[in-house]
Amino acid sequence: MSQIQANLTICNRCILPDTFPGIKFDDHGICNHCRREEKAAKKAFDKKAIYQERLDNLINDIKGKASLYDAVLAFSGGKDSSYTLKLLKTRYDLRILALTFDNHFVSSAAWDNISTIADVLETDLIRFRPPWQITKKLFSLTSREDIFSKPTLLRASTICTSCIGLVKSLVLKTALEMSIPLVTFGWSPGQAPIQSAILKTNPAMIRQNQLALKKAFPSEISQAMNQYFIPDFYYEKYKDCFPQNIHPLAFFDYNEESIKKDLNDIGWKAPEDTDTNSSNCLLNAFANYCHIERHGFHPYVWEIANMVRQNIIDRDEGIQKIYTEQNRKMVEYARERLGL
Amino acid sequence: MSEIKDKVRAFVVENFMFGKDEGLEDDTSFLENGIIDSTGILELVNFLDEEFSISVEDEELIPENLDSIKNVTSYLQKKL
Repeated sequence: MSQIQANLTICNRCILPDTFPGIKFDDHGICNHCRREEKAAKKAFDKKAIYQERLDNLINDIKGKASLYDAVLAFSGGKDSSYTLKLLKTRYDLRILALTFDNHFVSSAAWDNISTIADVLETDLIRFRPPWQITKKLFSLTSREDIFSKPTLLRASTICTSCIGLVKSLVLKTALEMSIPLVTFGWSPGQAPIQSAILKTNPAMIRQNQLALKKAFPSEISQAMNQYFIPDFYYEKYKDCFPQNIHPLAFFDYNEESIKKDLNDIGWKAPEDTDTNSSNCLLNAFANYCHIERHGFHPYVWEIANMVRQNIIDRDEGIQKIYTEQNRKMVEYARERLGL
Repeated sequence: MSEIKDKVRAFVVENFMFGKDEGLEDDTSFLENGIIDSTGILELVNFLDEEFSISVEDEELIPENLDSIKNVTSYLQKKL
């Protein structure tokens, strides 16, 4: 039986469903999120141009000045982070350190892509792999319980939030320790607002976020992962060198097909063993499944709805991505590996 | 002042509290109480930008300006 209810009402403009928390529809069947974004949508084109210019200027200022690298990139080997790496190398010729977080569920096709793309783009690569015991405990817990604040559930599954929380922490820690001035992510244009696409990280804000993240984990897991978080003394020690955070795909042209084609040209191959919303992770289908079971909406619907609203993908394609049942085989694969 | 506060409150309640204004005092910390997460803060910034036509500078992205209804309202008063 499908996890998604057959009688679901979906916004007539984007694809948010009536099961999405706090949603309201007007007489035209348009949701409150679409209405709120109307004003911003009119200015989006100009804003993207402004952000491209801002990035050009920022890179002019910082390029070549740090002793080791210009940027550290959270590199999953998926299409978005691979494309971000390509963009930063080809447009700006930056010295980039790519950091891959091995969550024990990276598909073998994604590992091939990681090696190929890093080699083709002549990029140094670090693979960071926590022990399986910790990872298993973390994902077993987050598959069963929503340990983070409620708003996180609107944008991602609890499994994904736990994983990406560690990734964010590790890349920032690496940037501070190696005096790297840019931290880069391959967020899609639907994942985070454009205002955050070029942003100086703020120690006080980071500290608050890290505290919230650590507090969410049971003490056994939090202690086991302590070394992945920013140590308290770093906020003072590195207070003047917190890096700039950038995610360029928020303001460069984003078209999935042309991105894939561009990447294919340099040896990237779309994995066939991942779900429709991931091009690197074998845990994602299970993470989606758990979220839908508990909350009645797909954890990627916010991101995809944003992209539909921005005309980056068409509505039918968005519906296809979100309202298709999770691949049962992949769900069972992850469940079995986690011993659940 | 009151109108600004009402707009900020309405945005927070609608977007982060699923429409339920439960226990949200003017000085309730968004981050400490899990009302808004790190991405949510950026959505709040986006809202301030659009609604009040202000530009939040990098150095202004601090809890003292954004971490409660009271802080956001005082911050806006200074900016407007």
